[in-house]
Amino acid sequence: MALSVLARALPERMRDPLAASLRQSLVAPLVALQHDAELTRRAWLARDEVTLARDSATLRAMLTPVLQRENGELRQLLGMAQRLRWGFVPAEVLHGRNAGEDYTVMLSAGSRAGVQPFSPVVGNEGLVGMVKTVDPTMSIAIFSSHPDFRVSAMAADGSAFGIVAAHLGTGADRYLLELRGVPVRSSLKAGTVVWSSGFGGVYPRGIPIGTVIGEDRKPAEGWARTYLLRPAVVPASVDAVMILRRDQRPEGVEGVWVAPQSVDSAAKRIAGAVDSASRTSAPVLTTARRDSVPRRRKAAPVRPDTAVIRPDSALRRDSIRADTAQPAPP
Amino acid sequence: MNWSTGVRTALAFFILVVLHYTLRPVLGWRAEPDFLLIALLLVAIRIRPGSAAVLGLVLGLFADSVNLQAFGSAALAMSVVAFSASWLKAVFFADNMALNAFFFFAGKWLFNAMYLLAERRLGGGELVMQILVWSSLSAAITAIAGLASLLILRPILRTSLT
Repeated sequence: MALSVLARALPERMRDPLAASLRQSLVAPLVALQHDAELTRRAWLARDEVTLARDSATLRAMLTPVLQRENGELRQLLGMAQRLRWGFVPAEVLHGRNAGEDYTVMLSAGSRAGVQPFSPVVGNEGLVGMVKTVDPTMSIAIFSSHPDFRVSAMAADGSAFGIVAAHLGTGADRYLLELRGVPVRSSLKAGTVVWSSGFGGVYPRGIPIGTVIGEDRKPAEGWARTYLLRPAVVPASVDAVMILRRDQRPEGVEGVWVAPQSVDSAAKRIAGAVDSASRTSAPVLTTARRDSVPRRRKAAPVRPDTAVIRPDSALRRDSIRADTAQPAPP
Repeated sequence: MNWSTGVRTALAFFILVVLHYTLRPVLGWRAEPDFLLIALLLVAIRIRPGSAAVLGLVLGLFADSVNLQAFGSAALAMSVVAFSASWLKAVFFADNMALNAFFFFAGKWLFNAMYLLAERRLGGGELVMQILVWSSLSAAITAIAGLASLLILRPILRTSLT
């Protein structure tokens, strides 16, 4: 028991090698078993979904969005890989479900795949966390909600800079983040997306971290503001990630994730282009439509005994041939 | 414990440890059975308290090696639980189903409580919620899984549950 107390009190620099030696020797086959079991579970769940979808059209209709979402996520990840082009290692996430494993996670890629400590871990929606320790075949990462996590961040338009850290809330707020140290003169609106700034040398510039929910007013902070962020990625829902290699950092990852502002402006540009096209073509279309009416009238043979024009008719009289039109009976 | 019993107990222990890393992830429940603790308790009541504590330490370090944040917490909790189980084996030695279920429940609940306290991550209401609600739920499921394991492994352990 004294040994276990000693193990609890070990400093990090002594604890990590001990844990790593255990993971690489005695625990390695067990972790491999756990990995296979996780994959089996996912396959089983997927099989269940497919079976249910085959069994019932109603259920299929209900489950299609789930499958579509999963497909969409994988496609997004593939798309992200294409945009990144190089300098990343794909990995699967093995969630621990024990108490105390909310903020750490095992990844199915290690140093043999090129993963190094302090490598950023990203998902298709943004920053997930950072690799803490690396073994040959697996690595352990901390989520952005981990108490030790820090990343230099900025607003999308560069108007505010700060440090993002875990909010350390409880319950539903446990995954929230804080943007700390923002100068008082910089005010961020709710909904502003916060990105990694590239300062600090660990995280390349341009990874979405989260969205501003509001200001967290702390009386102790005089000249700085703290904002609460909703993380771009909810750690518990991540199944597949990309680990960015160190050689990717100098290049940055700007453009890999599309800024919401860009999306908005692109959408506005498209809408504007459609509107202007409509405006340009509207007179031409109206003229063409108006001209086509008499042409159609001319083209269609009208029987003299059936063509009747009412006095209140909206049709232009000059568009009707006089010899084919008869006044309506009173 | 003679040689034959030792081999059978080791086999049951090995099966339960493998189940912990295979069946548990497949189940994927929020409150999960802890086969590692069941294995530890099954062995602990068959060996001396000192040996049980060492076994708890080793198993705890196994569990801790993949959770750097709370390294040592599981080792400490498992050592205490294994030592207590071995020391109290006279009470629980009767092969009674209810007693065994309570034994597994108490072991898992004590483990979780000690782990959460040693980890020093949670506090206040969330700690109370974890200890009273989630730990109790997990302990109940572990107790059920423990009884099921005893029934299944009965040919190996040569126990009789009444």
